[in-house]
Amino acid sequence: MYGGGNTFESVKTDSIAQEDPIQLGLFEARIERGEKIEPTDWMPQLYRKQLIRMIEQHAHSEIIGALPEGTWITRAPGFKRKMALMAKVQDEVGHAQLLYSAAETLGKPRQKMIEDLINGKSKYSNVFNYPTFTWADCCFISWLVDAGAIVNQLANAKGSYGPYCRALERICAEESFHLKYGHHCVIYLAAGSAKQRQMFQEAINRWWPPMMHFFGPSDKISTHTQVLMKWKVKMGTNDDMRNQFLDMYVPKIWELGFTIPDPNLIKNQETARWNYTEPDWEEFKRVINGDGPCNKERLEVRRIAEERGLWVREALKSPKAEYVLPLA
Amino acid sequence: MKSLDPRVRRLPPAVELNQTLPKSPLDQFVTFEVFVQPKDGKPFEHEGIVHAPNLEMAYVLAKEAFTRRFDCVSMYVVESGKVNVSPLTEGDTNAYDLIEDVPGQAGEKESYEIYHLAKRGKQHVHAGSVQACLPREAMTIAKQKWYPGKGVCNIWAIRTADIRFTSPEEKDLWLTLPDKKFRDAAEYKGGEKLKSFLEAKGQQNLNHH
Repeated sequence: MYGGGNTFESVKTDSIAQEDPIQLGLFEARIERGEKIEPTDWMPQLYRKQLIRMIEQHAHSEIIGALPEGTWITRAPGFKRKMALMAKVQDEVGHAQLLYSAAETLGKPRQKMIEDLINGKSKYSNVFNYPTFTWADCCFISWLVDAGAIVNQLANAKGSYGPYCRALERICAEESFHLKYGHHCVIYLAAGSAKQRQMFQEAINRWWPPMMHFFGPSDKISTHTQVLMKWKVKMGTNDDMRNQFLDMYVPKIWELGFTIPDPNLIKNQETARWNYTEPDWEEFKRVINGDGPCNKERLEVRRIAEERGLWVREALKSPKAEYVLPLA
Repeated sequence: MKSLDPRVRRLPPAVELNQTLPKSPLDQFVTFEVFVQPKDGKPFEHEGIVHAPNLEMAYVLAKEAFTRRFDCVSMYVVESGKVNVSPLTEGDTNAYDLIEDVPGQAGEKESYEIYHLAKRGKQHVHAGSVQACLPREAMTIAKQKWYPGKGVCNIWAIRTADIRFTSPEEKDLWLTLPDKKFRDAAEYKGGEKLKSFLEAKGQQNLNHH
């Protein structure tokens, strides 16, 4: 799971002027030809920095994203749902491992990334700072947040950095089960009792604003990212991704007889774009910066895990070990 | 802490270890490269890396990280630092063109596993093994064997003795994979349920009007 928003804060392009123009030309020509960049290749500082930031945030989102669903494993209705949810949560944590490795090929140690998550220096997808009060909230995440993540990930898998693409291909293959499982859960709630239907309707009402935030600030207010598009770091604008998600999933939500809490949500048949009420971007900023309903709790869980495991890692560490960057 | 998460509520606060333990320059485990064979007769492919304190733990962690979901009949791991890497080429340049020939060495030969990257962004795939005294000699012998052949943009040579292989009796690790249907997207067919739900809903709407 992963939100594409907020990844790129103001991009200072001054550093590009200081790059070796010959190397830069070769680098850009390679991307232009559709060839992937591999870890040992020359790359501009800005490319490295933005990729580390993006892949690291993606990894954090996977590991934090496992928490709101993970807390429902013991309360999932029935043995089958428990098995499936456990497998899904395990996948998410596995995805974090793949992504930390991809980011590590760019030179940032994994331990540093985990520290930056816990001390609040690096961000993760905003959507996981909201609580899962009911089983229906958990189903909303499994189906729709994962659906949004897949929209982002399929786009990013066509990006230019080899190790990230390889990780994403694997992740997307695993996510197909999450999406089908999530939809299955929601169909059963929709076809269930009045109480079950009400429960999912309430989950939609709670989760719609964070779901709209998920793809990041509107293109109107979002930072200019032309150079990152050219370098195939960013593969589509936030609004494009949001529109693609609405196009695929709003009809499926309506099909089940649920409503979406936005009176302005309608597809403009001429432009093939969705009209909607602009989400509250002030809330988005506030939550990203730490003031959401669950920010403290999410990081606390990670901090506890990190501290409790420390003595094991210390005990296992070998003084002879010689670290080299992972290869691919 | 007031929390919905049972892990936070259940556990007493962790001891503040950060304050007592100074950080060593290397504060993480080294990495190991993981190779997986999806089916009998298919070559091993590079899958990714794991962090681990040693080769044996790397094997255990790699099994969890990389062979949970999809077909696997065998897997092996090697420390990242023990992989000998050729230059990476671009366009139509063959990586073997950049390998400087090393004359045959005297002495006892060892086995090396040779991996090829056919295209940037793809996985390194096992090409075969060669006998050599040195890693560079192994690349030279590989060149004689596979060059010009298909395009290769990167070559890895790994001393076979450095690899932690799957033993024959460990092969049953993956026998239960096909039984884990709850991890399979095809197991979640909601179509029938959805259809009967929509039909019932349609009927209700008709009655309404």
